[in-house]
Amino acid sequence: MSFEMWAEKYRPKALDDMVDQKEIVERLKSFVKSRNVPHCIFAGPPGTGKTTAALCLARDLYGEVYREHIMELNASDERGINVVRETVKTFARVRSIGEIPFKIMILDESDNMTTDAQQALRRTMERYTETCRFILIANYSGKIIEPIQSRCAPFRFTFLPREEHDEYLKHIAEHEHIKLLEDGLDAIFEVCGGDLRKAINTLQAAASLNKPVDAKVVYSIAGRAHPADVQKMIEMAVKGNFLEARKQLRGMIQKYGVAGSDIIRQIHLEIFKVEIPEPLKIKLADVVGEIDYRLVEGADEEVQLSALLARLVEAGYELKKAS
Amino acid sequence: MYAAWTLKHKPTSLAQVVGNKEAIQKFVDWVKSWEKGVPKKRAAFFYGPPGIGKTVTVEAFANDSRMELVEKNASDYRTEDAINRFAGLASQYGSLFGVKRIVLLDELDGLTGTADRGGVKAITDIAKNAQVPIVLIANNAYDPRFSNLRNYCLLIQFKKPPAGEVMKHLRRICESEEIQVEENALKFIAQRSEGDVRSAVNDFQALAQGKRKLIYEDVSWLAYRDRQESIFSVLRMIIYGRTCSSAKRAVDMADVDIDMLFEWIYENAPAHLTDPHDLVRAMDSLSMADVYRGRIRSTRDWSFTRYVIDFMTAGVAMARQNTKASGWIPFKFPQRIQMLSRSKAQRAMQLNIGYKIKRKCHISAVRASKEFLPYLRIIFKNNAEMAAGLAKWLDLDQKMIEHLASSEEKAKAIAELVR
Repeated sequence: MSFEMWAEKYRPKALDDMVDQKEIVERLKSFVKSRNVPHCIFAGPPGTGKTTAALCLARDLYGEVYREHIMELNASDERGINVVRETVKTFARVRSIGEIPFKIMILDESDNMTTDAQQALRRTMERYTETCRFILIANYSGKIIEPIQSRCAPFRFTFLPREEHDEYLKHIAEHEHIKLLEDGLDAIFEVCGGDLRKAINTLQAAASLNKPVDAKVVYSIAGRAHPADVQKMIEMAVKGNFLEARKQLRGMIQKYGVAGSDIIRQIHLEIFKVEIPEPLKIKLADVVGEIDYRLVEGADEEVQLSALLARLVEAGYELKKAS
Repeated sequence: MYAAWTLKHKPTSLAQVVGNKEAIQKFVDWVKSWEKGVPKKRAAFFYGPPGIGKTVTVEAFANDSRMELVEKNASDYRTEDAINRFAGLASQYGSLFGVKRIVLLDELDGLTGTADRGGVKAITDIAKNAQVPIVLIANNAYDPRFSNLRNYCLLIQFKKPPAGEVMKHLRRICESEEIQVEENALKFIAQRSEGDVRSAVNDFQALAQGKRKLIYEDVSWLAYRDRQESIFSVLRMIIYGRTCSSAKRAVDMADVDIDMLFEWIYENAPAHLTDPHDLVRAMDSLSMADVYRGRIRSTRDWSFTRYVIDFMTAGVAMARQNTKASGWIPFKFPQRIQMLSRSKAQRAMQLNIGYKIKRKCHISAVRASKEFLPYLRIIFKNNAEMAAGLAKWLDLDQKMIEHLASSEEKAKAIAELVR
């Protein structure tokens, strides 16, 4: 076993290595061939290869010295307008020396940029097109302002199909000499929902236990990644104890740094497992979806999820009344 | 019985009095001048805001120079007759056995027109004719009542000592009470007192007595203390509001900002709405208020604030359809704010590890701390060898390893392997 983060170690290095997103990869390869790249938006869910595609494109284009020609900025860490005015602009306006006359600026998680910063970016993209091309990476292209969208070639990334997901994990397991069982694979897919980075992290954490990776191991990892158990919180809410359930939620978010999107995904899975009237499941799914969307819009995780807990309290109450 | 620390730790020597070095020097020089005969101004008039050491200066000085201190304050009657009787005793005759004497008339602001009739006039007479040093103390020497009196007095202004000086005093108390206090907790108390040393000591006692250790989180909530009374009635207006407009009006009465008010409502509304349908309506409203807060953030358009207010006040008020008011439920300080400040250090550590991951894994520190950390914790708990490899690869420091490993032993074992 090797001691790096496998998610990084097994990141494809060239477009040819990318197993998935075939159409996108083909188009990117044609950019490399013509030695010209337009401004791009890579949009899609996490763990589907957006950042990887951008890095592979750069490497194929510039060769091993690609780092000298690109800059990676992460809008989650540097989201303000000043970054655009200073860092981005300085990088964009200086001409690259070399065969290819432009550099590439990769703006990762750019849906977290403020509107101001995006407005400032719009001009910069236009003015320095000659010397710099932008690749904006985002989970939701809807959060990128229209004028920027219209200047970019859009690429929509989708979750990996099951076979490719499995193939990739098997490939890693083989290289790392770990035993990955079929039901383990099923479990990883269920828990991670096709997010490859998460799947690889789960696999690595499971491998650290030094035993064959089966469904039981995977579920225990997933459970431990979210220590204060989502299920327990749901039970409390359904029993009508809103305040306790909220306290549990608060602990998960604040103490253990569990992501709201992970909690909501688990709630969504649970809803269809618990014994409540079938029509109620759909009604709840609607609420879960709405809350999920609000989280995506950047709302407060605890406030939104506790609104969801209130719905569970209500569902539990209806259930008791009916029986 | 606990003694009040303001008394227990009152300075007994001028060296312990904080701040006001100039004023104190001026006073000491003036008293010394009495040795060469009666000076032109026979009374010193100390003035300045409360709690900054005016009285203490006189007491400490008397103690240092072994002088007898004769004192009268607002708790005594101070009519013309009473003061004359007192003044006759105190100022006209030198004391027995050659001990020098100093006379203190404190809290002159408290002289009342009727009960202390003629008091100021009597004091003025004493100031004119005194044979021993007289010290007068008031918050405001420029009160028109004192206009004639002022002519016979050496005016000495006392100013609010800076926070650093207040901290010095608090530190002396910490030592003698054997309490360990975080520097920024001390600073917070000192700054909050705005130079009023007495109130700082009172606050400090209330927070620290009986503890061995006082940290910043123990004191930071004080910032809200003064405002709680008014926030309670605001909350009542919102959670028990009958009309939209009355609930919305409550916002104007609150002297906390909208975000803080939101936290108060979010913390307290559920306990006051026990019917599940009411609860859902209230939480939905708060959720919508929060959505509008997000829209303000992303558009920078603050005019959306009005919808935030609609949902968090009127929305919550209208949620009550079935819940009957039952008994008394206390309002609570927003727990999540308290918890946030407690877990601050922990979150900073998580983000720092996030930055280490960012350098290697092409992901923002913020997301890395959420997406990678849970798995790293599992690895650090179960597989020291892999953990050590990762620690090396990510260039984690000792503190970070400790944070990720579940026990000290494991952290040690991992650190050993890293070497």
